[in-house]
Amino acid sequence: MTLIPPDLREHQKVVAEYNSATTVRTWYHFLLLAGAVLFAAVSIGFVGTIFWSSLPTWLHHGVTLLTGKGWTSPTGPFGGLAMITGTLETSIIALAIAVLIGLGTSIAIVYFIPRRLRNVVATLVELLAAVPSIVYGLWGLAVLAPWMEVTVNPWLNTWPFAKELFGNPGQEYGPSLLLASVVLGVMVLPTFVAISREVISVVPQDLIEASLSLGASRWQVIRQVVLPTAKIGLFGATFLSLARATGETVAVALIAGGVANAQFHLLYPGTSIAAWIALEFGESQGKEIAALMALGVLLMLLNFGLSLISRSLVNRQRRALAIV
Amino acid sequence: MSDIVELEEPIGAGHELRAEIRRVSNRARARRLTISRFMVALCVLALAIAAVPLVMLMYELIKLGAPVIDKTFFTTVPATPTLVAPNATGGVSNAIVGSLALNLYASILAIPLGVLVGIYLAETESKMATSLRVVSQTMAGAPSILMGLFAFSFIVHDLNIGFSALAGSFALAVLMLPVIIISTEIAVRNVPNSLREAGLALGAKPHKVSMRIVLPSALTGIVTGSILAVSRAVGETAPVLLVIGGGFTNAWQPFNPVSALPLSIFENAKSEWPSQRAQVWGIALVLVAFVFLLSLTARIWASRKQQVRN
Repeated sequence: MTLIPPDLREHQKVVAEYNSATTVRTWYHFLLLAGAVLFAAVSIGFVGTIFWSSLPTWLHHGVTLLTGKGWTSPTGPFGGLAMITGTLETSIIALAIAVLIGLGTSIAIVYFIPRRLRNVVATLVELLAAVPSIVYGLWGLAVLAPWMEVTVNPWLNTWPFAKELFGNPGQEYGPSLLLASVVLGVMVLPTFVAISREVISVVPQDLIEASLSLGASRWQVIRQVVLPTAKIGLFGATFLSLARATGETVAVALIAGGVANAQFHLLYPGTSIAAWIALEFGESQGKEIAALMALGVLLMLLNFGLSLISRSLVNRQRRALAIV
Repeated sequence: MSDIVELEEPIGAGHELRAEIRRVSNRARARRLTISRFMVALCVLALAIAAVPLVMLMYELIKLGAPVIDKTFFTTVPATPTLVAPNATGGVSNAIVGSLALNLYASILAIPLGVLVGIYLAETESKMATSLRVVSQTMAGAPSILMGLFAFSFIVHDLNIGFSALAGSFALAVLMLPVIIISTEIAVRNVPNSLREAGLALGAKPHKVSMRIVLPSALTGIVTGSILAVSRAVGETAPVLLVIGGGFTNAWQPFNPVSALPLSIFENAKSEWPSQRAQVWGIALVLVAFVFLLSLTARIWASRKQQVRN
């Protein structure tokens, strides 16, 4: 009979305990892993299901969907050109508005207003982001559209090149691509401000102080130090805002006019990809649903592409500043 | 920022040249400062312009929304106005019940899974974790109408469940998931490693450390993220528009078609009855009040907890 020395017995106990600990740990990690796998399945299902449902359209009318002009429900042909141009027009104008106002806003929040006000203003901008998009749509439809029709549109029509830019006076009414763009601009403004504020506020204080000590004015500091340092991150914010703008649905559905008409006159009614899906889906069946799903695939590709670009830019900015 | 200081008049040889140089440099400095002040004013103006829509929107919401809210607004189901009774719009209890049900089911579906995935991302370093992080960030920015298309294809069509609260809450859950995942991951990562090590040093097993030490410390962040996710989901129209079916009854059951607050706004905003167009503002006011309440609660709670910890 072999005698087990006490320390060895102790050791075996520890090993047994460790083993039970590792099995329990495996169980816990298995739970986490299961969650991760389920999430992966959901996201694959998300992309896969929409693509699968749109397959009939790609197989039979792939080119028509990209270049066709008319949308005849329920039989087809289903042309997506009006929605594609509408999406690009509205979101690019919206982006221009959001970037112009948003850049000034974030610079002012970070550098030019008293410290005590800063949090209040930041919270207000975030509240702007929390307002549901349907409420913006309602506001645009019930408040801005009549105002545009009576006051703004006649004034815009006195501009040079008004006919080429806005279309024939008299043919337009309240809801239009321009109105949708303006409201979209207001809606993506908080997104742009949130990211650009973060990007601007992490510009190293050393750089700013060095520049001030050389006698630069406030604006020279912003123009020659802050903006160049934050440039890449600001492009990231721009792309993310563009991604948001392309995906906005119900506000555009309410105020763009909901007419599938491929044109560039901004005061005429139009539509966007997302808005068209929302407007048409309720009454469509079979082939038309597949066509709408195909529009959804286009929207998904556009959105995912833009947000991937955006994230890689913002990450590059973070890395660059970590080195400085 | 210093004002322009006029330099003193020079005395001595070559003073004319030096005076000229000073004049030029003073002028240049004055120009720089004028430009600077102008641009600063422009930035502050941009800030003011950014505030205009919020003020206008709040003003209209309260002015037009408050008068239509009364007791029947909350307690009765909608009615269709007729020529005899053009103001008989009824209430919106169906939409309130529907919205509550949708978001409750969506939370039940999304929060546990989101928290699990968030912890997974925070505590493992693997290729899968890295790619899931990219996936969740991309999904967080995905257009909400796509969630509606997904729920329609999968729940309504493939599983043949039909237009139902379940389909709507599935769409909302997909929308909420990335928000919860990202905020959980950040919250768990922010728990100081010294706490983890202290737990392990006392002999606690890794899963005990995770559940008894890390999760309670990260709880504030997780709850805040979940509330923000719900506040985003409550106001979403596009995903539920395609799949919940709508209806005038106070339905809440998972397999029944239900209504929702944003959906009633969308449906009645262009109504031919002025009374219905007016009522829509009341719904919008209730919706915005609810969303603001949720997001302010989350924000205040988070900042207070942070102060306690500091």
